[in-house]
Order: sequence, then structure tokens, then C-alpha cells
Amino acid sequence: MSLDRKPDPIRLHKELTAIWETPPGWARLSAVNHTTLGKRFIITAFVFFAIGGLLAMLIRVQIATSSTAFVSPELYGQFFTMHGTVMMFLFAIPMFEGFAMYLLPKILGARDLAFPRLSAYGFWCYLFGGSILIVALLLGAAPDSGWFMYTPLSSSTYSPGINNDIWLLGITFVEISALSAAIEIIVSILRLRAPGMSLERMPIMAWYLLITAMMMLFGFPPLILGSILLELERAFDLPFFDPTRGGDSLLWQHLFWLFGHPEVYIIFLPAAGAISMMIPTFARHELVGYTAIVVAVVAVAFLSFGLWVHHMFTVGIPHLALAFFSAASGLVAIPTGVQIFAWIATLAQGRRPRWDVPMLYLGGFLFIFVLGGLTGVMVAMVPFNWQAHDTHFVVAHLHYVLVGGFVFPMMAATYYWLPHFTGRVSDHKISIPAFWLIFGGFNLTFFLMHLTGLRGMPRRIDAYPAEAGWDWLNLISSIGGFVMAAGFALFVVDLVLQVRFGTAAPRNPWGARTAEWAMPTPPPAYAFASLPQVQDRADRLDPNSLGTDLAAGKGYLPFARNGWMETLGVDMATGKPGEVIVLPNRTYKPLISGVLTCAFVLCLLFKFYWASLLVLALVVGSLLGWASGMGSRRDCALLEAGRGLVLPPHWQTERPPSWWAMVLVCAADATLFASLLFGGLFLWLVAPAWPPPLVAQPSLTIALFAAMMVIGASLSGRLAVSALRQKRSAIVMLRLAGVAQAAGFATFLLMALQVPDPTAHAHLAVIFVVLIYAAIHAGIGVILALHGLWRWHGGYLSALRSLDLRIAQLWHYYAAVTAIISLLATFLFAFLASHAEGPRS
Amino acid sequence: MTSQTLSGKKIGGGTLLLLAAGFTIWAAAFVALYAMQSVGCAYGWQELEILSGVTLQRLQMSAILTIHLGAIALLVRLLHNHRDQFLLRAAYWAALAALGASIFNFAPIFVLSPCT
Repeated sequence: MSLDRKPDPIRLHKELTAIWETPPGWARLSAVNHTTLGKRFIITAFVFFAIGGLLAMLIRVQIATSSTAFVSPELYGQFFTMHGTVMMFLFAIPMFEGFAMYLLPKILGARDLAFPRLSAYGFWCYLFGGSILIVALLLGAAPDSGWFMYTPLSSSTYSPGINNDIWLLGITFVEISALSAAIEIIVSILRLRAPGMSLERMPIMAWYLLITAMMMLFGFPPLILGSILLELERAFDLPFFDPTRGGDSLLWQHLFWLFGHPEVYIIFLPAAGAISMMIPTFARHELVGYTAIVVAVVAVAFLSFGLWVHHMFTVGIPHLALAFFSAASGLVAIPTGVQIFAWIATLAQGRRPRWDVPMLYLGGFLFIFVLGGLTGVMVAMVPFNWQAHDTHFVVAHLHYVLVGGFVFPMMAATYYWLPHFTGRVSDHKISIPAFWLIFGGFNLTFFLMHLTGLRGMPRRIDAYPAEAGWDWLNLISSIGGFVMAAGFALFVVDLVLQVRFGTAAPRNPWGARTAEWAMPTPPPAYAFASLPQVQDRADRLDPNSLGTDLAAGKGYLPFARNGWMETLGVDMATGKPGEVIVLPNRTYKPLISGVLTCAFVLCLLFKFYWASLLVLALVVGSLLGWASGMGSRRDCALLEAGRGLVLPPHWQTERPPSWWAMVLVCAADATLFASLLFGGLFLWLVAPAWPPPLVAQPSLTIALFAAMMVIGASLSGRLAVSALRQKRSAIVMLRLAGVAQAAGFATFLLMALQVPDPTAHAHLAVIFVVLIYAAIHAGIGVILALHGLWRWHGGYLSALRSLDLRIAQLWHYYAAVTAIISLLATFLFAFLASHAEGPRS
Repeated sequence: MTSQTLSGKKIGGGTLLLLAAGFTIWAAAFVALYAMQSVGCAYGWQELEILSGVTLQRLQMSAILTIHLGAIALLVRLLHNHRDQFLLRAAYWAALAALGASIFNFAPIFVLSPCT
């Protein structure tokens, strides 16, 4: 469409659809659109939920009575491990990611997320990683050491098969997907909003998702590190968790639960965000306590990182430390309570609430989650925790929290947004009996499980003696489980009926006041024909009139230009538009990268380590290939953005989304690095079999040379940017940066290889890994320097277009800082290990 | 980031960090106290009596807590007069919550035995 032509809604729709739509057939595999990928995430997560539910049924059959001999202990171990793994990693997190992916641009008034290809890559990583686990289950080789993989049970000494390698590599693969989603969500919320949508005008769900994604950014790296270290122990005998060689199984527990407890809130908070969107609609009153809720969510996010040790109260930690974690565990109930009271106040303040199916499911949430919260406060208290630890009481508690806090709100959300997904409303009443079956079955199963636990039944056992007196409780729990499963089956039937036979939904069937309803349903691929100007809080909109205006092209970007997928980038705080963001079009590249990443994981799994290096090179090459054709070979004039606004394209601005993405990558990486250093200090301080028989003696000369190289690389990267901005050639500086990083890489590798026998003691293993970490980062610096040269020769760089080099510059800085810290840590660890006045002397 | 003048104050993307500032100090206190408790117990500082009845272990932990409480209190004080904007108001309440959380969370250092 010509930019100066008066917008014609039909023509605008056709032109935008041609650019944004995912074609049918095999071309579906090239999808990068947030609506398509959001639905795929949700459907795939639901399939995994069904698999996890089936495993739960098998578990309940096995322990229904003391005399059931349904499966062997080995298979039972696989069932309960996979049930927890599937539900936590393959259902809950991806389901939230799917909802976020689908809804975020629509509630923010944008056309898509910041990195559509990353969304697609994340989906393929999730699908392939999850599939590896499920195939292993079908082949009888699934992980079997519990979903938390405690060492030493999960170490190769006691679990020599491939089972636990599948967990460690498969879950790390899936975590890549989760981290990429977290970065995408943060950058999208902060930079891709409708003009005028300042932070205080954001819909409350955006706050929830922003804070949740931040938690993922800092919560997942410790688990990724733990998984890498455990896999290194299993594959190469580096003894991080082996107490006979200076390791400690408690290190695994710390790393796992440092992720594991925030994970509970990472699951709950997005659901709470959905609740905060639904309740005002049904209460017919805006959310009460918007600011208080934002503060409460921040408090929950932080406090949830200070209570991981309540999973470890029985391991022998001093009482004072237990008190810290017990207090934090109790404290977190307060900001959670603030949210619940805000929802109740919203209902109380409104006119007579509208009672419909989503509200029924929200009622279920409130009842179950509050009970789970109360038992949570019980297990937060150390004396009670000691009694209930590792019993079915804890199983009951965690299901009340997770099913109450996530599954029920998500079912409510499904009914609430299903007319948006499908454009249809349900004429069927199946949703109500489905609710009562799920609600009744759930309470029958898990309320009684509290009693089974209080009577002393341990978790994870596949059999128990009849004399224990747990038979009738277990039998009723199992019956309840099957009732619940029948309810979920009805829920699925209802969804299928609605999708297939539901009547056409009117726009905004619930009378909501948020932007996602200001569009046709099901939504077009481009979401908004033109982007809104937000003048008030984004939960005070009139979607009906707004939708009509936007479809008529009365907002920003009311045209299709150059076949570009365009949306607006805004100032982080004020929402003032600052750039036109041109998103990458659909492509098979994320699929290719996903397949290659899967091949890399499989090579590691089957111990084809040399082949894995080749495949890794292909993965890196494929990821760099994403940049091909991106950006511009010439400087662009300012672009029209509609409503009289002219803006630069994002590649000519100082800090576009990709720059922020690199900042976040470095933040996540720094968390992993800090966890590694924590691990080294923890082992020195706490682990048995110290001091080590042999202490590393790094060469100061070589270390100084390595430091000079990485500092030189970062300075060269900086000078390359300066040269480019002064319209001079950046080639010399880019080459220097590449050479310096290559020298740094080689030096760190040499230092790592000089560590005497890293399998002998954890002290040596830690130093070895710290040096390898620095080498890998220098190696990535080489790749980025070469990438800069490639972009230079391709004509993509100029004084105005220096983004590629500025992103690389961030990495060079980060690599230099962590390399220097690595060197200092190496000397510190060597000093501590050899110091005569050590803690054990 | 660009910024906008609102009621005479600059509100930029960096202000978002203030929202997390109070609890970041709480987290720093948590890490420092948990780490130094382990170090002190490993080196037997609970046996070293510095003042009458006060051991080195309790003294160093009290010092760590005091420094962090002071930092949060200062933050609360700074934000107190700037509550007319949403982000600053939220940051103020978050800092106040962090102050309360820190007192409740770490008060046990004054009463419990540190290493048993």
C-alpha cells in the first residue's frame, strides 16, 4: 500500500496478511509468528500434560493397595521421575511460555514479539528435547532417579545406564528454550509496546510476565550449571559430587533447589497474572491495588530465591541458617496474600460479578491454592518439616500449590481466551461437570494424601506393608485420581466441541477492557492493522471502538511497506515511540538450527564427542546464518510511522532490542558463572576429603598473558566501533580483536590442560572448568569478531549501522571481565586449597 | 534510554532498577550472612569471645546485618519524598517491604546459636 493513500481496511488486511501469514503445507515449518507459535507451545504442552497424567495414573495403580504388583520397581522409578519431569519442565513452563507468546504482543499493542525466530527456535528445542525424553520412556530407558536427580543416586556409580544422561542433556536442551523465551519476553515487554503505554499503564499481566521472565533469567542458570557439572562427572569422571574426592552431593541439592524453588513461583506468577486479567472483567471493576500488586510480585520474586534450603532442612545445616530460610519461607506468604486480597477486593468493589465458567475454575483455584499455601506455611516451619519431610504430606502440599496455583487458573484462562483463539464460544455445558470431576477428584486424591503422609508413608516407594494401615487411604486416593482423569477427559472433549462446533463469538464476548480484544477473532497474523496510541491504563480501554479504529488504519503503521514485518519500539519507561522495528520474515532457519542442536545433544548422549564438535560448528554456523539478509546495505532516511510520526529503523538506533538481548544473555551467563564460583568455594568450605592431595599451580606469566589478550580484544572491539562511527575502516581493529581472542582462547585452553589430572579431586576439577569457561568465552569472541568482518565485507556496517559491532563489543567486555575473574578465582582456589590454616586443619 | 520529564523529575528506564533496589540489598544481605556464617563456623569464630559474651561470629554477622539494614533504610529515606510517580512510589513501598523482610528474616542472628 502506498503510504500517502487513505487506508482501505480490506486492502490493508490483505496486504498485511500476505506479509505476516504462515502459508499452509510444509511451509508451516517456517512459521515465526507469535500467534502460531503460541498455539503450538500450548498444544504441545497439553500433549505432554496428558503423558504426565497417564504416568500419574500408573503410579496410582501401583500404590493403590499394599498388594498391587503392577510394575517393577525399576519401571516405577522411571514413572515417578518422568511424571515430575514432564509436568515441571515439559508442561508448566512451556504452557506459560505459550500463553505469554500468544497474548503478550496483543495486550501490549504490538504486532509480534521482539525475536520471532528465537520463538521458533525455542519451540523446536522444546519439542525435540521433550521428544528425546518421551522416546526414552517408550524404550524403557527413561531417567529414574527422581525429577530432582539427587546425587549420588544419579551419579554413574549407582546409575550407570544412559537414563540419567537423557535427563541431564534433554532438560538442558529444554532449558535453552526457556531462557530464550525469558529474554524474548523481557525485551518485548520493555521495548515493544504501543506508543503512550508507559510502564504504569501496562496491563497487570505484563508486569507479572516481566518479573517471571526475570526470575527465569536468574533461576535457570544454576540448574543448567548443575546439569553440566553432573554430566561432566558422569561422562568424564570430574568429581564435583563425589565425597571421596572432595565433591559433595549437597552442592547438587543447592544448585538444583536454587532453581527449583523459584520455579514454583515461576509457574504460579503467570497464572496469577491471568487471574488478575480475568477477575476485573467478571467483577466489572478495574483491578484494585495495581501498585500494591506490582510491589507484591517483586517481593515474591525476590523472596522465592531465599527459601530454597527449606527443601534441605534435614541435611544437617546449622539452626541459624535454617532460621533464615524458614523465615523467608513464611514471609513469602504475605505478598502472595496481598494479591489474593486484591482479587477479593476487586470482586467486592465491583457491581454484581458475572458468574461464568472461567469464574467457576477460579473458585477452584482459590480454594485449592489457599489450602496449599497453608500447608506451605506448615512445612516452612523447621520442626514440622522434619516430621513431614519426604512423606506423602509433601506430595499433597506441592500438588495443592501447583495444581491449585497453575492448572486451575490455566483452565480458567483457557475458557476465557478460547473465544479469542478460535473465534467461537461454547454452547455446551460439559465444562461444569468437568470442573466438578476435576475438583472433587483432586481433593479426594490429595487431601487424603496429607493423612497418608502424616501416618508416615514415604514418597517414591513402590510398595508398602499391609500392616502400615495405609491401604484404604491410598485406595481412595487412587479412585480420586481416576475421577480427576475423567474430568480432564471431559475438559478435552469440551474444547474439541467448542473448536469444532461452537457458534461464532462476538468481538469481546466477556466485555473485557484490554487490548487483545480490539481485533477480530481468531486474530489475524499481524494482530493489529494499525497500532494504538494508549492514553490511559491499558486495562481501561474500549476494545470495541478501538478495534474498529485500528482496523480502519487510524493508528500507527497503517500500511504495508517493502514486504517488511514492522512494529514500533518505544522508550522503556515512558512508552514514547523511538524506532520502527523491522522483524525477520518467516524462514526455515530456526528449524534447521533446532535439528542441528538436537543432533548435538544426541551426539553427547551417545558419547560421539568428536562428532559433536563438528555438529556444534554446524549449530554455530546455522545460528550466524540467521543474520544473513538482516539489516540494510545502505543508510536509511527516517521512516514514516503514521499519524505524522517519522522514526529511524531499529538498526540505526543506539540500543535496539537485540542490544538489550545481549545484555540479558550476559546477565544469565553471569549467574551461571557466579554459581560455578559459589560451587568452588562451597566445596572448599564444606565438602569432605579436603585439603586435596594435589594442588593446582597456575603460571602467573601465562595468566598475565591471557589477561592481556582478553583485555586487548575488548579494547580492539571498542576501537572498531569508534572507527566505524568516524567513517573509517574497522577491519584492522576487528582482525586485532579476533587475533587477541584467539590467543586468549588458546592460552586458557593451555592453562586448563596444565591442570594436573582433574579427575583426582574436586579442587582440580573446579579450576579446570573455570578455565574452560574462560576459553569458551574467548572462543565465542573469535566468532563474533569474524562475524563483524563478514558483515563489514557484506556492506551491512556504516557509521549509522554499527549494531553488529556494538553487540560484539558487549560480549568482548563480558568475556574480558569474566576471564579476569576466572584467573583470580584460579589463584584464589589454589591458595585456599594449599593454605595451612584452612577450615579443616 | 531517553527520558521524559514528569512533574519535574526525570523518569527513565534506569528507574526500573530502583523497583528492585531494596530487595537486591536484602538478597545481598542474605548471601553475605549465609556465606559468612559458614565461614565463621568452619574457622571456629563462635568460640572466640571478643566483647563480654559476644563472639566474633555474632559480631561479624551483626555488622553485616547493620550495614545492609542501613543501606535499605537510606534507600527508603531517599525515596520517601519522591512518591508522586508510579515507579518511585512502587520502589518506595518495595524498599520498605525489603526493610521489614530483612529485620524479620535475619533477626535470629541475635538469639540463635550460630553453628549447631
